[in-house]
Amino acid sequence: MRPANQAPSLGRRATLLGAACLATTALWSGHAQAAASVGQPAPAFTLQDTSGKTRTLAEFKGKTVVLEWVNPGCPFVRKHYDSSNMPGLQKEFTGRQVVWLAINSTEKAALDYLEPPALAAWIQGKAGTPTATLMDEEGTAGKAYGARTTPHMYIVDPQGTLVYAGGIDSIPSARASDIKTATNYVRQGLNEALGGKPISTATSQPYGCTIKYKS
Amino acid sequence: MPFRPLLSLALAAAAWLAMPAWAQSDKAVVVTPQVRAELVALAPEGVEPGKPLWLGLSLTHKPEWHTYWKNAGDSGLPTSLEWELPAGLQAGDIAWPVPRKIPIGTLANYGYEGTVLLPVPVSVTPDFKPPALASQIEIKLRAAWLVCRKECIPEEGEFVLKLPVRGSTALHTAAFETAFAGQPQPLGTGSTVDITGDRIAVQLRGLPATLQGKTLEFFPETPEVIETAGAWTQAWDGGVWTASIPLSAQRSQSPQPMPLVVALDDNGQRLSWRTEAHVTSAWPQGVQPVAVSPQLQAALAANAAAAAAPADAGLQLGWIAALVGALLGGFILNFMPCVFPVLAIKMLGFARHAEARTATPQAAARALRLDGLAYCAGVVLSFMALGGLLLALRAAGEQLGWGFQLQSPGVVAALAVLFTLMGLNLAGVFQFGQFVPGRVAALESKRPAVNAFLSGVLAVAIASPCTAPFMGASMGFAVALPAGEALLVFAAVGLGMALPFLLASLVPALMRLLPRPGPWMEVFRRLMAFPMFATVAWLVWVLGQQSGIDGAAALLLLLVALAAVAWALGLSGRTRMVMGTATIVLAALLAGVLGPAVLRPVEAATTAQAGERWQPWAPGRVEQILAQGQPVMVDFTAAWCVTCQYNKKTTLANAQVLADLDARKVQLLRADWTRRDPDITAALKALGRTGVPVYVLYTPGAAPVVLSEILGVGELRSAIARL
Repeated sequence: MRPANQAPSLGRRATLLGAACLATTALWSGHAQAAASVGQPAPAFTLQDTSGKTRTLAEFKGKTVVLEWVNPGCPFVRKHYDSSNMPGLQKEFTGRQVVWLAINSTEKAALDYLEPPALAAWIQGKAGTPTATLMDEEGTAGKAYGARTTPHMYIVDPQGTLVYAGGIDSIPSARASDIKTATNYVRQGLNEALGGKPISTATSQPYGCTIKYKS
Repeated sequence: MPFRPLLSLALAAAAWLAMPAWAQSDKAVVVTPQVRAELVALAPEGVEPGKPLWLGLSLTHKPEWHTYWKNAGDSGLPTSLEWELPAGLQAGDIAWPVPRKIPIGTLANYGYEGTVLLPVPVSVTPDFKPPALASQIEIKLRAAWLVCRKECIPEEGEFVLKLPVRGSTALHTAAFETAFAGQPQPLGTGSTVDITGDRIAVQLRGLPATLQGKTLEFFPETPEVIETAGAWTQAWDGGVWTASIPLSAQRSQSPQPMPLVVALDDNGQRLSWRTEAHVTSAWPQGVQPVAVSPQLQAALAANAAAAAAPADAGLQLGWIAALVGALLGGFILNFMPCVFPVLAIKMLGFARHAEARTATPQAAARALRLDGLAYCAGVVLSFMALGGLLLALRAAGEQLGWGFQLQSPGVVAALAVLFTLMGLNLAGVFQFGQFVPGRVAALESKRPAVNAFLSGVLAVAIASPCTAPFMGASMGFAVALPAGEALLVFAAVGLGMALPFLLASLVPALMRLLPRPGPWMEVFRRLMAFPMFATVAWLVWVLGQQSGIDGAAALLLLLVALAAVAWALGLSGRTRMVMGTATIVLAALLAGVLGPAVLRPVEAATTAQAGERWQPWAPGRVEQILAQGQPVMVDFTAAWCVTCQYNKKTTLANAQVLADLDARKVQLLRADWTRRDPDITAALKALGRTGVPVYVLYTPGAAPVVLSEILGVGELRSAIARL
């Protein structure tokens, strides 16, 4: 089968160009293909936190882990931080022995990339209390999980299985006033998981800003 | 003395309060730095049951920016439209034109660049009754769109369009025809989707034979099914187009049937087809559809809200403290520069009380106490009324803040008229007693307490745009409170403001400090005309910021005409009749011709010259600059805020301050709230404020520092030094 032409086909030369583009497309979508899926083992990663300490997913085995993709430059992230929604969740569940890892996969060249100390200070300034904030400038962890937006949320159970992937809640909007009426899938999922129940909504639509991956 | 300005002032103030503060001039166009959005309509045969009616939002994007299709792809949000239509009109769903695939790094979106019209069919039902008096109906739209380049900016706009009921509306016919031509053609049945492992095999039947061998673009309407940026293949099998497309590893939707669109560009024309393909096997297990019953959804939402509440508990500030702050803020309000004209009126009032004292001392003291209480009641009730209005608007979802009155050109013009009349009266051009009906005038003079009450009302009407220190925080706090508590905070501000006068009336000893009445009072009264006219000058300047030099000139002309009317009515006998009629006719004509120029807002001049110290503020701008490691200072200001102007001319123009700012490479941004701007309102709200001035210093990676409203050189310099 012939590869699909991603660009509009305007002529033979364009088709050739398109094919060249596609070769690259296929290369990076190789990553996307390998994206984690719910019910499968959560991909391992090794990243440095904002204080420069090396952290791995494996070190938290035996605990429920939340992965939160974050970028303070994104209005959707600010919706959930400025409203205290995300810091509130972090506080509530880290208080119940859940490990909360905030991960920033924004590439260094992006306009809104924050250096590790600046990122840590921003989260602290919003009263955020994740267990650790991890730097993923190369985008390896983000691509392994198929993270597409900020925020994009994942839950890993104590056995290391991915049990939730998707949005923070049920109303995709940038309006903080929608938080009250939305179903918070992360809270719901964590409550079910901690209560020993299967997660009723295991996948949902993540919404927010596109993650600016290193190309 | 036939000096009764307060009654007419009260009448004017009542008219002003009755005028809806949110009555904004109609606008069908909203322009942001990224998008020009326009509400357009197509009604070639007028608006009648059974006749075609289309509405639409036309979005023109700046180069590189895009908004989204119904399935936005890997990120983004579809544009949403909320209509407010006259009874009998029913808007359908957006007839989405076929989008483009927009790759963003390793991800992909479906959306629109350049110009796109999102058409919406509207059915005119037999219930539709054309308005009896007007020849037009009003269409209102609240639209929200997410516009992205690499960064994303959520934006919204409110639109109003007047549509003639009988006439033909066809100005945008070409745009609608282009949009209709961009609609996918329906395909016959027979198309299928087979699920094979982690891919789907799509088979489309019934495509035109001329397409065979050509490459098509593929768009699933349901989000969260396929890997939007994943590698896929397509082929022609005779007349059947087939494609193998990877499923999303985190698929959350399981459509049956699966609505699909294919498209291609053919000789400059964009052709597209749509079908609802039958999914031949069950979607793999382990993934449940997100859709839940509405009852369950509501229950879950209630649980989530209940659970979310404790997270906000940290934000709760003792509201007793807020009450004390509000009281103090109200008191300080007396000494704010923008309350000065009101002080003039109040001083006159006190002089009048001192005059009354010359009758019998006991009666005068009693009258004074009554006046003091009435004034106090006037201030407190007005604050509560304004607070109530603010709360009502908050409930109505209006993104307004304290001081919003002066953001509307109509209100500014009405205030200018009011102050001109007051100035003319004080200067002795005319006496109010002459044209206020005798009975009302008598009632007025016999009931000085009513005068005092109205004087209190007026004091609040003018003071409200100025937020003193403490008051900003209290107001911001009150706006977020339950209605009852918020009203008490507003009442406390009023009480604080009335306090000095209340005390002076209760303890007449304080009153004895006032000079004895005499001929100086008439001199004083005429002198007071000048602060009134100075206030008019300021109001004309504010209007000039909103409606441009044309609007300001039109207002000045109207004020001249009004002065002529006041003068003519101040004459007597036949002259009064003739001149009065002539000037009133002239003034009415001028108002008809020039009125719209006064009310028409002009576009804000947001272009900053390169190298200029202050750059215009825009949403997201602070974050951008912070991301480059540079500190930022934002001046939230407005032309009508005198405190803001004072700070701008003093502290913010101080050479040492400017040198410090340069040394620390602080980027200066100015957010001008002279006109209504929901972005700035939202930014103020995020800082816990509802009014200006607000001065904020941002440092990368630290919480923003909010400085005091009367900005001191020392305070600002030490804040800069801490950066």
